[in-house]
Amino acid sequence: MWETLRKHRHPYLFIAPYLILFLVFQLVPTIATVYYSFTEWNGLRPPRWIGWRNYQLMMNDYMFSNAIQNTFRYWIVGAIGIMGLSLLIAVLLNSKVLRSKQFFKTSTFLPYVCASVAMGLIFRMLFEEHAGLVNEVIVSLGGSRIPWLTTSAYAWIPVVILFIWRLTPWFTMIILSGLLNISDEYYEAATVDGASGWQQFLRITLPLLNNILFFCFITITVDAWRLFNESHILSGPGTSNTSLFELMYTSAFTNFKLGYGSALGVVLIVILLGISLIQFMVRRRTGEI
Amino acid sequence: MSYKTKEVLRKLVVHGLLCIIVAFCLFPVLWMSIISFKEVGESITGFNALRIQSPTLANYKRLFELIPIWTNLLNSAFTSIVGTVTTLFFCSLAGYAFAKFDFPGRNALFYFVIATMMISPEVGAVPMFVIMRRVGLVNSLWSLIIPRMATAIGIFYLRQYMLDIPDAIIDSARIDGCSEFGIYRRIVVPIAKPALASWASITVIARWNDYFWPLLYLRDSSKYTLMVSVSMLPVSDGLSTPWQVVLAGTTLVIVPSIILYLVMQTYQKSGQVAGAVKG
Repeated sequence: MWETLRKHRHPYLFIAPYLILFLVFQLVPTIATVYYSFTEWNGLRPPRWIGWRNYQLMMNDYMFSNAIQNTFRYWIVGAIGIMGLSLLIAVLLNSKVLRSKQFFKTSTFLPYVCASVAMGLIFRMLFEEHAGLVNEVIVSLGGSRIPWLTTSAYAWIPVVILFIWRLTPWFTMIILSGLLNISDEYYEAATVDGASGWQQFLRITLPLLNNILFFCFITITVDAWRLFNESHILSGPGTSNTSLFELMYTSAFTNFKLGYGSALGVVLIVILLGISLIQFMVRRRTGEI
Repeated sequence: MSYKTKEVLRKLVVHGLLCIIVAFCLFPVLWMSIISFKEVGESITGFNALRIQSPTLANYKRLFELIPIWTNLLNSAFTSIVGTVTTLFFCSLAGYAFAKFDFPGRNALFYFVIATMMISPEVGAVPMFVIMRRVGLVNSLWSLIIPRMATAIGIFYLRQYMLDIPDAIIDSARIDGCSEFGIYRRIVVPIAKPALASWASITVIARWNDYFWPLLYLRDSSKYTLMVSVSMLPVSDGLSTPWQVVLAGTTLVIVPSIILYLVMQTYQKSGQVAGAVKG
């Protein structure tokens, strides 16, 4: 035992910082979250064990069901929007006829660089009911003003638009790198055989991007379930557009219900673990790791 | 349709669509910076926002009165830069170990790293706060740096790149009597420079834009990062800060990251970061 440790001390030493940090700042907090989720705790007095009560409360909490519903929406609408747009932009950027490629690449990546908090403030103004540009455009097209952030029904829309706007560039870049790996020969052969551009996209591009698209979907899923900044800055009335993650933050650190907040944290842990497991199995099956 | 008209049409569609997309990408940022130079009295309703009658710096002056900008800026710069440098060091060290050493438990440990990649540490925010209070790091900038000095995703990315370093170079250095850390510093780091550079640019921007952790740990305005101060701008001036001033704040946050990105663009080819993902 000691002999192997000594013999391989260098790699172990190189990995040790990660393992220690992981232990202290990830494993311990994760396990502690599970423990706290069974307690009632306001941060001042010591936590009191109350069994499954927090989870029972959760089942009857309309704020929890709102948050789940909202996050689900952000996930599905976000994934469809981001994947669709980034695929489109990547294909356009990869087009043979495109001039000044570098300019288009650089400027379509810019949204990803912009802080979501700052963009949230800007979107808040763009979606303002009476002065915002979005309503101004709608009115000039003959529609009527929409109370985006002041009614429950619409409040989730600006959040998901910001989510899509900011993350699309990242996935565009990943998909573009996948497109660059597809050999031209496939397309040349298909053109000789008389396949149209659309057929080539469906029969060659999409199947060969399979792995990358799957990776993108998983990453978007994780990003959607941990969405916080966007809905925190673009908050609508009550919990109308609160994400699950934001609900955890406000329960624990604004309302000081640390036990209940931890229970929400456990729900998130379970969801993320599930996603992680799926991607792990798929990666293993495709021989990536 | 002849082949030629088809080509022209295709060119038109590609460029047209991309121009629309670029407009959507750039518009909010341009719009924000224009409004930040407008006088508070001027109309910012709808398209009026884009007509400046008398450009002014008053909004920026007001911003400097409302929040301690220089201190916040320094805090942001410190956490971003120190955070990036430390994470690059520890991630590349671990990535090198996983890529180029053969040791018992390597595969198990690496699976473990990948398995933890998707679980974001934010879910443990409650105990994290307790731990930080215990070690006296609440309200300290180090609370933003230390927990993320080595991240699973960073290790994974750098390891993928380092796999391609030829073993022969490392072995010959070892035979020449170079120490293990010396090999890392003199051979592995220089070869992995492109990967390190692109990972650095992603990390530095992500840290600059970080919001959740600073919001959680930092307790008074002299410790805030710029992101936290700016997020509180709408309520800093008696609950109704003029939009012009808020947008001056967001401009101040976004412009440095855009400049940084453009500078880095000139040094490296875009798309390199995505190399971590195999097709």
